[in-house]
Amino acid sequence: MSEKGKELYEEVKDKIEELKNNDSAYAKFGEIWKLACPIKYKSYDLRFLYEDTSREFVDRHKDNIIKMREDFVENIEDYTKLCMKRLGKTNHFKVHFAKTNEEAQKIFMEELGDNKVIYKSKSLEAKDAGIIDILKENNIEIKETDLGDVLCQLFDYKYPSFTLAPGVQFTVEEIVAKIKEKHGIELKPQAEAIVNYYRTTYRPELLNNVKVSLTSANAISADDGSIILVENEGNISLLTRATEKHIVVAGIQKIVPTVFDALLVAKIQERIMNVDGAYISLISAPSNTSDIQGMRVFGMYGAKEVVIILVDEWRTKAAKENLLYKDLLKCISCKSCDLVCTASRAFGNIYGSKYGIGAVNIIRDYIHNGIEATVRDGLFLCTGCENCTNWCPAGVDLAEIMRNLKKEATEAGLAPPNLDKYKEKIFKDKNPFKAQ
Amino acid sequence: MTKLIYFGCLSRSRYKGTCENATKIIKFLDDEYQIIDDPPCCGSLAHQVAIKEDVENHVKLVNDWFKSNDITELITICAGCYNYLTRYYPQYLGSDFKVKVLHLLQFLDTPENLEKLNLKYTGKKLSVYYHDACHLRNAEVPIIEEARNILNSIEGPIQLKEMENNRMNSLCCGAGGGVYSIFKENSDFSSKIIFDQMRMSKGLITACPFCYTALKRIQEENKIKAPVIKFEDFIFKLMEGVDPVSV
Ligand code: SF4
Ligand code: SF4
Repeated sequence: MSEKGKELYEEVKDKIEELKNNDSAYAKFGEIWKLACPIKYKSYDLRFLYEDTSREFVDRHKDNIIKMREDFVENIEDYTKLCMKRLGKTNHFKVHFAKTNEEAQKIFMEELGDNKVIYKSKSLEAKDAGIIDILKENNIEIKETDLGDVLCQLFDYKYPSFTLAPGVQFTVEEIVAKIKEKHGIELKPQAEAIVNYYRTTYRPELLNNVKVSLTSANAISADDGSIILVENEGNISLLTRATEKHIVVAGIQKIVPTVFDALLVAKIQERIMNVDGAYISLISAPSNTSDIQGMRVFGMYGAKEVVIILVDEWRTKAAKENLLYKDLLKCISCKSCDLVCTASRAFGNIYGSKYGIGAVNIIRDYIHNGIEATVRDGLFLCTGCENCTNWCPAGVDLAEIMRNLKKEATEAGLAPPNLDKYKEKIFKDKNPFKAQ
Repeated sequence: MTKLIYFGCLSRSRYKGTCENATKIIKFLDDEYQIIDDPPCCGSLAHQVAIKEDVENHVKLVNDWFKSNDITELITICAGCYNYLTRYYPQYLGSDFKVKVLHLLQFLDTPENLEKLNLKYTGKKLSVYYHDACHLRNAEVPIIEEARNILNSIEGPIQLKEMENNRMNSLCCGAGGGVYSIFKENSDFSSKIIFDQMRMSKGLITACPFCYTALKRIQEENKIKAPVIKFEDFIFKLMEGVDPVSV
């Protein structure tokens, strides 16, 4: 084991130590997360909302989803081509294909033009492409719209969070106090009061001021070039309509063969995360009308222009060259794996990367920043319980990827001290538990 | 043609009494099974932290040991060995791996063996829980209902209860993947929530020595009344007519 391995081990240990301090960011996140994930675990069983449990719903469609995702990965280039054609030629979106993250960043800045403010929601894909970093470097003001993200911004929260409910760790009292500190407004310590505050102050801004908005997509269908977006707050509805230019940044793994697949992906996400309903937007063209003499004019009430930046970077290569994270291309971002993860449940946002919590985001960190980053993210906290693999509706074998990353980390001398010892004892003494 | 009892390193190093109990149970049912001194570790723990070549060499070495001892069948009491031998050995060795691998639970759960065991419990009303170890439920041939069949076959006032998370949804004890030796804190939390799902129970039975180690520590540290019992010990005590949850 190298010095580096020891250092990384200590670093993770220190974070775990912080869990004992109730006021630390990790402890606070852990507290709510520990509550949230068993509840979500159970929510697979919310029979009183539906005839079937969410788990049964997922299981009913699982075979189809797996087949659909495998088909996509097998034919990733064909589907990407077809999708671009439909998006561009058929549906009048402006489509860019970015081979690398750098290209995506460049295209994005060009599309942004002179605008100095961008409103965004659901932009993990833009973060993945390094676009958020570039925006910051260029002093572009990034305005979050999802309430959870708005709160993270309010608190200047720097730790990994849960992508689907990023502000869950803040208490009502903390939020109210922060609003008073930052905006000088005194609110009742009630969730309703906070929501109402943003509704009355921020909603008008979203309705009137947005010039350029950024979202990702939950899925993009190749057969008819539609973007599907799932939400519950209505912010995405506003960002995709009440804007001049809507920019979608998505990795090509978001492509699904048909629009029905896209809907299925959306429904799976909804059933897993949001059992009590949401908005789903299916966008198949920029806002337009043909009501004047049958002439098609774009930019009626909704977005005048919709720009789609499809990012490849690691994806086609992973599919073609069978890279160890190839399976991740099948992921539909349903987040089941986070909710059932043993390491995540025990360690909350210690187990995660700058892209968010959980194994998927640790693998993302590996793709962009290499093996050392994953060890820092808590790679060795994974118990190999395979809950992630067992629950994944898309057949992603996350546990296997994590195992392979551990191997690579060990080869690089980055494994925690004791694990190395076991290995040597197995090979030498043929018994890791032999008394010395 | 040798039938082997393969305890697994953790059990044979730390839980000798359990190995003896398991041996007595197995031999009672089939006297042909035998123990061979100093069997090599299956290598499960090295799998994710060693390079492929080293793992392959080790797996080959173990297989050679099986061959030189003419092993055709084995029973293991280790969930980890079972999972590893049945999943990865065929992957690494292909048809060169010819050993039929059984976990003790599979061996016990046949109509003949259950009949021969004829398990009876005569004490006070007793309710127990069974913890599904990841290694067993995730295996190529999952072992899930076997444990329940065996426990339910026991005659007498004994009831097997289920936790909210059971079978494929069982909670991991937090000790797997070597995590126990580096980040015990995982089992502090994960094992604790397993006990939290138990209601009015006199015991928690597990068929995995790794889970046992983690669960036992948490039970003792938190002064939880219900003891953790290894499957083999539980069965053997029943056979002996001893209180199966006594420690
Ligand atoms: S195998 Fe690892 S990543 Fe997957 S659920 Fe278990 S602890 Fe989490
Ligand atoms: S890898 Fe995780 S987020 Fe992706 S589809 Fe599978 S369970 Fe869902």
